[in-house]
Formats: sequence, structure tokens, C-alpha cells
Amino acid sequence: MAAESGSKGQPHKSHRSRQAGPSAKKKKNVSSNFDNENLTVEQRRQRNPKAFAFNSSVKAKRLQARTVEKEQRRLHVPTIDRTYGEPAPYIVLVHGPSKVGKSLLIKSLVKHYTKHNLPEVQGPITIVSGKQRRLQFVECPNEINGMIDASKFADLALLLIDGSYGFEMETLEFLNILDTHGRPNLMGILTHLDKFKDVKKLKKKKQQLKHRFWTETYQGAKLFYLSGLIHGKYLKREVHNLARFISVMKFHASSWRSAHPYLVADRFEDVTPPEKVQKNRKCDRNVTLYGYLRGCNLKKGAKVHIAGVGDYSLAGVTSLADPCPLPSAAKKKGLRDKEKLFYAPMSGVGELVYDKDAVYININDHFVQFTKTDEENEELNRKGKEPDVGEVLVRSLQNTKYSVDEKLDKSFIDLFGRKPNVFSEAQDGAKDEQKSIEWDNEMQTVDNQESGKDSSSGETDADDAEGIESFDQYERVNGFDNMNSTMQPSSSKGGLTEHVEYYGGRMRRKAVFGGDADPGNSDEDANIDDEDESDANDVYGDSENLSSEDNQTSGSDVSDDDDDEGHHGEHMGNVSKWKEFLTERTVSRQHRNLMQVVYGAPATLSTSINRGQEHDDSEEEEFFKPKQEGKKNVGEGTEAEDVNVEDCSKFVRSPKSWKERDVVESIRDRFVTGDWSKASLRNQISEFNPEDGNAVFGDFEDLETGEKYRNGEMEDFDKKQIPSENDAVIEERRLRKLALPEHLEENDDKQGKDFHGSKANEGGYFDKLKEEIELQKQMNIAELNDLDETTRIEVEGFRMGTYLRLEIHDVPYEMVQYFDPYHPILVGGIGFGEESNGYMQARLKKHRWHNKVLKTRDPIIVSIGWRRYQTIPIYAIEDQNGRHRMLKYTPEHMHCLAMFWGPLAPPKTGIIAVQSLVNNQKAFRITATAVILEFNHAARIMKKIKLVGYPCKIFKKTALIKDMFTSDLEIARFEGAAVRTVSGIRGQVKKAAKEEIGNQPKKKGQLREGIARCTFEDKILMSDIVFLRAWTQVEVPCFYNPLTTALRPRSQTWQGMKTVAELRRENNIPVPLNKDSIYKPVERRPRKFNPLVIPKTLQEALPFASKPKDIPRRKQPLLERRRAVVMEPHERRVHALFQQLQLIKQAKMKKKKLKNEQKRKELEAQKTKDEEISRKRKREERRERYREQEKLKSTKKRLRS
Amino acid sequence: MSAGMGKTTYKRLKGSQSFRQRLLLATLSSTAVSIDDIRTDSTRPGLRPHEVSLVRLFEKICDDCVVVFNDTGTRVTYKPGIIMGGRNLVHDCGLSRSIGYFLEPLIVLALFAKKPLSIRLKGITNDSKDPSVDTFRSTTLPMLKLFGVPTEGLELKIESRGVAPGGGGEIILSIPTVQGLKAVTWIDEGMVKRIRGVTFSTRVSVQLENTAIHSARGIFNHLLPDVHIFTDHRTGPQAGKSPGYGMSLVAETTSGCFISTDTAVSYRGGNEEVEMEEEKTEIVPAEDLGEQTASALLGEIEQGGVVDSVHQGLLFLLCAACPPDVSKVRVGKLSPYGIGTLRNIRDFLGVTFVIKPDPSTETVILKCVGCGLKNFSKKVS
Repeated sequence: MAAESGSKGQPHKSHRSRQAGPSAKKKKNVSSNFDNENLTVEQRRQRNPKAFAFNSSVKAKRLQARTVEKEQRRLHVPTIDRTYGEPAPYIVLVHGPSKVGKSLLIKSLVKHYTKHNLPEVQGPITIVSGKQRRLQFVECPNEINGMIDASKFADLALLLIDGSYGFEMETLEFLNILDTHGRPNLMGILTHLDKFKDVKKLKKKKQQLKHRFWTETYQGAKLFYLSGLIHGKYLKREVHNLARFISVMKFHASSWRSAHPYLVADRFEDVTPPEKVQKNRKCDRNVTLYGYLRGCNLKKGAKVHIAGVGDYSLAGVTSLADPCPLPSAAKKKGLRDKEKLFYAPMSGVGELVYDKDAVYININDHFVQFTKTDEENEELNRKGKEPDVGEVLVRSLQNTKYSVDEKLDKSFIDLFGRKPNVFSEAQDGAKDEQKSIEWDNEMQTVDNQESGKDSSSGETDADDAEGIESFDQYERVNGFDNMNSTMQPSSSKGGLTEHVEYYGGRMRRKAVFGGDADPGNSDEDANIDDEDESDANDVYGDSENLSSEDNQTSGSDVSDDDDDEGHHGEHMGNVSKWKEFLTERTVSRQHRNLMQVVYGAPATLSTSINRGQEHDDSEEEEFFKPKQEGKKNVGEGTEAEDVNVEDCSKFVRSPKSWKERDVVESIRDRFVTGDWSKASLRNQISEFNPEDGNAVFGDFEDLETGEKYRNGEMEDFDKKQIPSENDAVIEERRLRKLALPEHLEENDDKQGKDFHGSKANEGGYFDKLKEEIELQKQMNIAELNDLDETTRIEVEGFRMGTYLRLEIHDVPYEMVQYFDPYHPILVGGIGFGEESNGYMQARLKKHRWHNKVLKTRDPIIVSIGWRRYQTIPIYAIEDQNGRHRMLKYTPEHMHCLAMFWGPLAPPKTGIIAVQSLVNNQKAFRITATAVILEFNHAARIMKKIKLVGYPCKIFKKTALIKDMFTSDLEIARFEGAAVRTVSGIRGQVKKAAKEEIGNQPKKKGQLREGIARCTFEDKILMSDIVFLRAWTQVEVPCFYNPLTTALRPRSQTWQGMKTVAELRRENNIPVPLNKDSIYKPVERRPRKFNPLVIPKTLQEALPFASKPKDIPRRKQPLLERRRAVVMEPHERRVHALFQQLQLIKQAKMKKKKLKNEQKRKELEAQKTKDEEISRKRKREERRERYREQEKLKSTKKRLRS
Repeated sequence: MSAGMGKTTYKRLKGSQSFRQRLLLATLSSTAVSIDDIRTDSTRPGLRPHEVSLVRLFEKICDDCVVVFNDTGTRVTYKPGIIMGGRNLVHDCGLSRSIGYFLEPLIVLALFAKKPLSIRLKGITNDSKDPSVDTFRSTTLPMLKLFGVPTEGLELKIESRGVAPGGGGEIILSIPTVQGLKAVTWIDEGMVKRIRGVTFSTRVSVQLENTAIHSARGIFNHLLPDVHIFTDHRTGPQAGKSPGYGMSLVAETTSGCFISTDTAVSYRGGNEEVEMEEEKTEIVPAEDLGEQTASALLGEIEQGGVVDSVHQGLLFLLCAACPPDVSKVRVGKLSPYGIGTLRNIRDFLGVTFVIKPDPSTETVILKCVGCGLKNFSKKVS
């Protein structure tokens, strides 16, 4: 087998048999018997096939089943990864007990990555660790609440362990917390190893700790050793190694995390109006939180939970420019020094702090430096000095020639002329553009944002029904109007490049991060025309794009047209070709309109758009609008008025007369009897509408002609059909190719169908699933990238990995007051139904290290999802018949059910439960772990109750039972219930006893009510106790208490509801004692039975034999007693002899017995002696054997090694 | 401190419009709603019987939901519970709207229930206002399959038919549960390859059906040979309480889309209560009925799209409930109901559709990223 496997990959070192020595000799002997010793398995199989055949078909089947099973166990359900852009920085959580070196490790790592000394570790620290990877270091607060929160966002946990001390409770607790909240990657790090003086001891300790760590995590978990400090930092080499390990790590999100958006705030600001705070210092505050979005996309207006604070709806979400962007995608070996960015606003580093509408420049003295640019840009720098963005901003402000007002004056609106209209439009756009650039400069935003803005300005045009001006057209206008020209540095490789523009006589320098302007970016295809030949363009990339733009801006109309035709070279030749694009184009413009019709105008529309709309309404002719749209506009107008519209899904349109021939012919192609090619065209062409849509620009009049030649257009479609179909096929294939995993693709090329056949046997379904998912993903990317930025955000929300600013209103002032940068703020999104409260059922197990069982109704603190709260659980267990029986205490080593009330969490969510939050507790704080089974509002837990009663009157088999019920009503409830006496006589509750039948109160004070008539299978005694066993429902208390730990000083421990035991302890109240519950020795007196009395009538009926015999007592003894016996002399002698013989025999027997006894004793003594000896001997033998075995083993080992 | 305990915030809405969808979406997204001003200005203010019946149906299927009406019925507060589903439920839909009115929200609701639903609905099976039960059977249920709803347990059985004034129809609906739906790309409308249909008549002559079929075939004859229209003549207790007849047609395309229309005619007796609202509709002769239905079907086919105008709302709802992947569908002109649905979806689920007209075919292509609705009430073992 080894040879077989070796043939594929790297060949293993072949076995070299011994040439000399005893083993060689042995081998020689054996090989003389079997000459096929040095043959391969394959050869042997050929030579002796029977030996390799299965002997037993059952065994073979079993073996096969086992291998299949093993194969299946390896598989996991593939999940779709919906990260489309750059992933957010991975969070590396550094955890450990206090004084173990957490901050020092972060400092060392930051130093390693960025060559900066971090003065203090506060809040998350984001760094660029590689070309493709960013990391965010977070120090885990050494406190259980902080640990729980941190476990919910960590991608990688570094567990610091003091090697000189050993494991501490915090580490073990944290491991358990991590397990329940979706275990991230783990790495252990041993510190303080320099305290060991003895090398051997150190080695032993390392070994011991490693194995302990393995039992806690998994076999082979990585444990690092940081052996000591040099200059107060960990050793460079060791930190370097650690960084290497971190850099190759792969991360997987848990299902909870991939279904909920979340954000770890690396910046926190209080944005309450100051006057409000001055008026009332304790007023509710408005705060903003900044951080990378993780998990899944976040939509505007979503609800979030801030851990330790509460639930809030987001008042505002804004995406900001990435403060710590990845370097450009250009090929190079490593990171340049300048690209080694890091961002840690809470720690007080990083010069620039961005806000929605402002930039703050924070320059520490020893951080004074200018933003990084590339060497390439230095050619462009006339001053030889690298200009900072802020510098550019300031300089551009100085250079301003015209104010905004001036520009407004210059622009004018002409209602009738077309050309000037375009101009004004362009001006509008230009202003937009200007604004956007200014904004850009301020924000130091990236290029694509700018283009996004452009695209929105393009949309502005689009809104205008007559607006056919494309983006480049507007640029063209600019070109001859403002002598605008764009100079673009040819290389966009650098991390930060500049985009220099001469605009209206002044120079503008835009900071362009090369990394962000990646090819195939979503927004660019909205306005850059050559996008439709996407494949080619993708290859050329960004610079190509821009240069073509250059071309257009400088060129005239004619050149543009040339350009255009060049772009559409593939469907060349036809003159009217462009018209079809034209119509498509106009329609693609309308999509925004249609969305507006449905959803109403979006709130964030720039003024120009509004103006365009007005324009639209005033001088719009029906002509240029599609029919349905006009209708809809009207429809909407009426609809908005009436809120009581009839709720009816049917919508009757005026019917056409389908009897007429030409009307019928118009839909002929929708039937299989019609033209198939036309019909298929109908289905396919529009798929590529968005790409084609922007391809053409034309004039306004041309649209009219386009309208005119509608039929001709159809013919065009017909001609175009074949290439377009090809397009479809190509597109499909492209998607598929993207979707296929690489190895599959390769093999596909090599082996074709044959390979697929074999693959299908192995994991066909699995592969199919994977492929489907990948296809869906590619489709998502393709479809979403078609949209412009604003629409995309509206549709899918903010993407994962974007840097967001969340504004939250009306949080308690304590959050601001007690804000502690050492405690990271976790903001988690809330899914549907997760904010409503209800009962939940969880499968719970007491932690095996918690030394007490948990009591029902004792409050526990649970952490579910993002939340932490205190709740009162009821423990239960499911009986055989499906009943949930309440348990007073959790079972010792078993799972049980726990029901509690609180904010709902979806099934399968992990729960961790703690009872005390104090830090100085010695014991293990985690009390239980659980998982949500279901949430249902009707939680039925039953409890067994025993009603006890005493007979107060006994008839034959009927008895009246008192003290069991308190009222007749209660008896009515229990009619027919089974009762039982202690002695086991079964019975039934009948009804409340009537007064007449002996239910007379003996005492005056006795209650009349609550006496039940019961019947039994036998007569009961007055001394009997009657039980009724029943089940009653237990109410789960509707109580939950969120842990508002962020609203108090972190040093204070949060105190919630106390357990009964705690309260008793505090108030010195003894545990109430029921005397009857005490176990006492049972004394049972022998029962005295009364003599049996048989009634006379019964006696008479009995047969004689059974009748009690009434025999009178005799006065005189019987004759035999009274008579004396006198023996004859002979008889006497015989009797004496017999007696003597008897005596002799007895004596003999006695003697014999004694003798036997002695003998037996001797024998036994001998036996024990023998046994002792043999045992000794055996032990010796065994010892010898073991010794030999050990020896053999060690020699073998030595041989092997 | 027990913040939020027992306190619910209600989403405030106005008017009786899209009452069904509001209830449905509120339940799916578990948001409490309070609807004000329900027909306050109308001569008969407040909720209509069918709306109350719908609320009762929701209460029947859901556990622990709380509905409060005010005295005049102009205001409803609804706090959704857990969708339970269950077997052998019975609901009387009343006579003010047909069963189709109830089915539309019900089939979506039941997908996300804890247990599979099987319910017997009583009332009017066919009328001209709502899609008939035949349409649901022929078109709606196949549509669900596309979204990953399992075929087994998805069934609609028409026990007896009943038309407008008297009612007396009964259907049994059974719907399986799903863990979640599947995103679709459904833009290929295909070509119509066959037309099927069913006519029914209750307490009237079979001859009327034959006439209708004849006239409908007359229209299709120009276009397609593969037309089969079945008859379903009911008598006795299966025929409900009122006389009437109608037709339901469905066109199947090569790409597996179903486009359907239906009409129904009933002889409205001297039922004053019903007539108070709507003027008495004149009885359409069978010949015209066939023609009308066939024309309507051709009209729907002309519109294009993968579903007919009636099913737009349902299609959008299902797309919005999908996992966060892109769904892409093509429909004909947006119907007012479809537009209303889009708005409601945006309000409750936060899903916005990208709506693009396709000029060459005069259809509309909608894209959305689903909200990732999952069936949480299902128990894990």
C-alpha cells in the first residue's frame, strides 16, 4: 500500500532491511521458506490472489460499510460564505489571568508588525499584518462579564498561561465559555518561563502543561512558549514565530455569528448636544460607535444589542472610509514600511480620526509624519516633499478661485433649448462632482466612493426622462467648457496614490488608495462604458480604465463615437445597432424611477435630483415614458390617499378582444406554436440588460427615431440573437468556472467524464451541494455588483468588512460616565423575534466542576446570543410518556431541561450559566452549560403532588375522607380520581359527602366542606391514611434582569437577585425544618391480633369440617397419662442394654468428631502455607516476565529509532 | 430593574389596506402591530366579518398571540405568538369573502409553523374577487415547490364547492413546514405549451359548463391545440348552498411557469346584507364567461412574467423570505397588490427590491436579497 500511495505524492523512504546481525539472520531463515518476501503487495496479490480475497462476505460488507461511514463522518454540510468584499480584520483576543503578560504580548506583536511602540493597550488595535490580512488585537478583561462578551467576537484566542504557576481558573472558565459561544481558533502561550532555573524541571513542567492543555482543548493544540524578556519585551524571534502562526491561520465563523451582524467598537464618542448635558448632567446621551462590521450585512434601521447596556435601534448608520485599509493589490513581496498601518483610537495612536462630516487630525509629537505615498508619486511631486492629505486639503482651500455662490451664479437653467440644458445639467453634475471631490478630500475617501457619487450623478441624469447624457458626455462638456483635463498617474500600484486634476483653473489632488480601486469594482461599471466587454476589461484593470477615460475627456464627439464603436466591435456592422442599446439605456434609467414609484422617493436625494423631477413633471410628454409607468404614477397618486383600499390580489385590466386575428398574432410568439427563436430571445436578452445598458450614448432625437423604427428594431434583435445567445452561454460558463473548486476544474480538463463518474460515487451529492452554493455566491456577487452604491446598500445593507459609524440615541448617561476603554464594546444585531420575550426550553447540564447541584427557582445568570441576563429557571426532565416533570435540583451527571423566561433566542444557541460574578472566588464560576431546544410560549411543566386525608366515617367499603380537600368545589374537580391507603387499598373519589349520610360534625368548629365520599376495594380502617396522587402545572416565573454591567463602575460587581440560600445566610435564618421529614428509627411493636370471631350465622352455614369445634376442657387427664407401666425383668435388661449401647455410640461419635475437627484444622493450615508459597513463586515469575517484556520492548524501540 | 419585561412596542399602522399581509408579516417577523383608523369614515366603520375571521384563523394557528379590538372595530392591536400549525383544524371562513382570501396569507404562514398544518376551511370556494381554490391547486402550490417546499404533504383537496351567497364549500389544505426557503432565479418565462382548466357548476345544469368550454376553446384555437378543460359538476351536498358556475384556466410554459385566471358566476339570491355593499352584478352567460376567462388568460400571457398578476404578491413575499442570497424574478406589469406587497415587505422585513423594467418584453425584473427568515419554532431534537 505504501508503494501505491507513494507513487502519487512525495515518495516515502523505503524500508531498508538489516544486512547484518541477528535480525538479518532471522530474516534469512524466514525468507528461505517464503521466497516472496521481498515482493511488493501488488506482486504478491498477483501471485496469490486467494490470499487477498475476502474470506467472509459479511466481513467484507462490514468493512465496506465502515469505510463509507468514516467517509461520511468527515463531511460537513457546506455553508455559503457571504463575504463579498474585503473581510473585516480578524480579532485576535488575548486572554489570561492578571499579571500574566497580556498587554506586553500585544505590544510586542504590534511592535513586530508596525515597528511602533505602543504606550498603552486600550481598546481594539487594528493593524495591517499582510497583503491580504488585517488583525485586530483585543485584550480580554480579566472579569467574567468581559470574558463572556469577548468570547462572542473572538476569531482567534491567545490564552496566556503563567508557566511558573500553572493553569488558573480564568483560563479554564474561558475555555468553557468559548466552547458554548462557538469555539474560535485557539492557541496557548506559556509565559514566565524564565522563573525556572532548572532546565529539567522546566521541560517537565512544559510537558505537563501541554498535556493538560490538550485534554482541555484537543489533542495537538498549539502551545507556545515565551521563554523570557529582553529589554522588557518578549524575545523577537518568539514573537516572530507567533506572528507566523497567526498569519497562516484560517478562520471559520460560528452559525450564530454568520447569521447576526456585529461590531466591536474601536471608538466611542458622546455626541449629545453640550447644552443638553449642561442642563442636566444625567440626561440620556447620544453616542456614536465605530467599528468594522462583521458577521453578516447590516441594514439601516436595524436593532442592536449593546452588551451590558441594552437594546437600541440604530438612529444612523454611515459607512466611513476604512481607517486601516489593506495595501494595494499590486504584486510585491512584502509590505512596505509605510503600509504597515495601525489604528487604535482608544489607545491614542493614529493621526486621523474620521467622522461622518469631519476629520480630526491628532498629531502626537513623536508621530508627526505625513501620509504615506509611493515612490512612483514622487516623480509627480514638484516640491520633492510628500504632501499630506490634510496638506492637500489646506492647499486646495487656498487655491480656490470661485466660491460656490459664484458658481451658482454662473450656471443657468434653460427650459427650452436642448444644448444649454445639457450644459446646465452638466454644471449640476459638475457641482456635484466638485462637492464630491471636496468631500473626498475632507474625508480622504477612496476613489471608488467618488465614482459612486459620480454614478449617482449619472442617476440624476437618469431621472430626467430626456436625459441621455452619460457620464462621459458630461465630462466631454466639461472638457470644452472648463478646460478640464484629468491627469492620472499611470501606475496605480502604490498603496496611496494621487489623482491630480486641473479643474476650473485650480489643481486638486485626490488621495487614491490603490487597494480600493480594484478592477471590476461594483460602481464603476455604472458609468464607465467599456465595462460591458467585461472580460477584456478585467484583465487590463484599473489604469486601463482610467486611461480610456482620459481619452474620452480630451477627445471630441467624433473620437468618442470611434471609441464607442471600438468597444462594440463584436456586434459590429449594423447601423441601427446602437438604437437598440439606446432603448435599453433609456429603460435602464427608468429603473430608479420604478423603484421610486413603489417605495417613494428616497430621503437622501440631492437637490439636483429633485430639480430633475420637477423638470420631469412640468414638461414631460407621455411619449418618452413607458406606458405602464405613467399609469402607475397615476395609480400611486390615488392610492396614497386611501388607506382603506380593498384587500384584493386580483387586478382586472381592460380585456382586449382576442378574437381578432392581429391581436392574437401579437402574442403568437409566447406560445410553442410561434417563433421559438423570438421567444427565446425574449427570455434571454434582458438578462444582460444591465451590462449593455450603459454601453451606448446617443442623442436625444435619436430616441425618437428609435421609437419610430420599432419594427426594425425587432429585426435587429433577431439578427443579434445568435451572438447574444452566445453571450449567455459564455456568461453561464464563466459563472460556473468561477464556482467550481480549482481541483475539480483541473481534473475536469484532464480526465473528463471518466473522472466525474468516479467522483460521483465518492461524494456526488456533497460536491453538488458545494457547487450549487458556489454558483449562488457568484450570482450574488454578479447581481449585487451591478447596482450602484446607494441602491446596493438599500438592498443588501452595509457589507461585511465596512467601517461603520453607528449612532445611537438615548442611552443612559452611565454608559458614557463609566466607559472604560479596557472593556471592548460589543454591538450585536438582533434578528427577527429575538427582541420579544418568551419562555425557552434548554437542555442543560450542570458543569462537572461546579460542586453543587442547581436548585429550581434559584436565579442564574445566563449568556445567550449577545445577551447576558439573570433569570429564574425551572428544571425538569421528560418522562417516558412525554410529560415534563419538575425537578427540584439538577441531576448530578445528566442533562435535564431548563425552562426560563427571557428574550427569545433561536434554537441551537449555546448558553453559559454562572451564579456569581465576583472575581475573588476560588471555585469554578461556571455552573452550567446548555443549548436552546425550542421556544414555545406554552411551557408545561408538571409537578407531582400528594393530597393526604383521613377517614372520618367508614361505611362498608365507602368512607368519608376529611382534610384532603378544602372545599366542595375542589372535590368536584377531583371526582373520579384514584386514591390509595397506606396499606394499599385502592379507591376512587366519588363526590362531596352529603350532610345526611353520617357527615355530622363532631365538633362545632369543624368545617362542613371538603369532605369527600370515596369508595375502596375493601373496607378501610380508621387508622388508615388516604393519599391522592396528582399532577399540577408549575408556572415558570416571568422574570429576567439584564446585566447592565456597562452602566456601573467596572470595579463594582453587579448584584442581581439573590438566591434563597444567600438570603438565609445573610440574615441568619435557619433552614426551615419539617419534623415529619426527619428520619427516625422505626419501632415496630409486634402486632396483637384479636381472636378470630366467626359470627354465629356464618358458623351455621359452614360445613362441619370448617366449623369451629366447641370442645369443652377435660377435668381429668387422659387414661394413657394416668396409667403406670411396669416392665418385666427381661424387658428391663434389654432396655438397659439398649441404653448403654446408645451411650457408647454417642461417645464414639463425639470422639470421632473431635478427631475430624483437628484433622481439618491441620489440613487448612497446611493449605494456607502452600498457597502463600505458590503466590510468592507466581509473583516472582510474573515479575521476571514483565522485566523481560519491557526489555524486549525497549530494544525494539531502540531498533526502530 | 426589569426593563422591557411585559412591555411591547407596537408598530403603528393605519387603515384597512393590506390587512392580510400586515398580519402575516407581523407574525413572520414577530413585530407587534396596532392598526388604527380602520374605515373610520365609512358608513360601516370597523373591521369586516372576513377580517375578523382572518384574525380568528391566525389565533387558531398561532399560540399565545394577543388580539385586541376596540369597541367600534376601528382599531386592532396584534401581538404575534408562535406559529404552531397542527392537524385536523377547522375554520369557518364566513361568507363575506371566499376561501381564496384566507389561503393567500395562510400558505406562507403555515410554512414557518412548528408542526405541519392540515386545516379544513369552510365557506365560498369560488368567487370573482379572490383567486379560486382551483387556482391555488393548479398554480400556487407548484410555485411553492420552486422555493424548496417539499412536495409531500403539500395538498389541497376540494371536498365540496360553494359559491357566493350561500357558501357551503369545504376544502382541506395541508402544508408541510420548512426550515427555510431557497433563493430562486426565475426569469425564464418560456412559451406556453399547454393550457389546462377546470369548470365547475353547482346546482345548475352541466350544459352551462360545456358552453363555456366551447367558447373558451374557440379563442385558444388560433394559438394552441393542446387545450384541455375538465368539468367538475357537483350535485347534492357537494354542491354547496347556492347555484353558480365558473372556470379556472392555467397555462403551463416550457420553463415550468404556471399562469392562471379564473372567474365565477353565482346567482345572488335575495340576500340583502351582501347586496348592501356591492351593487348586484349581472349574471354572465356561460358563453361570455368562457370567452372572458380565456381572454383574461391571454391577457396575462401577454403581460409576460413568470407568474400572473394575482401571484405577484406571493412571489415577492417568498423571495423576501429567502436566505440572504439574491433572488431574481420576472413579472409582468406590477399590479397594485404587488406594489402594496413590496411596500409591506420593506416595512416589516426590511427587504427592498431592485425593480428594473425590461423594455424589450415590457416586463419587470425584480431582484432582492432575502431577509433570511428561518423557522425557529421548529424543535431541534
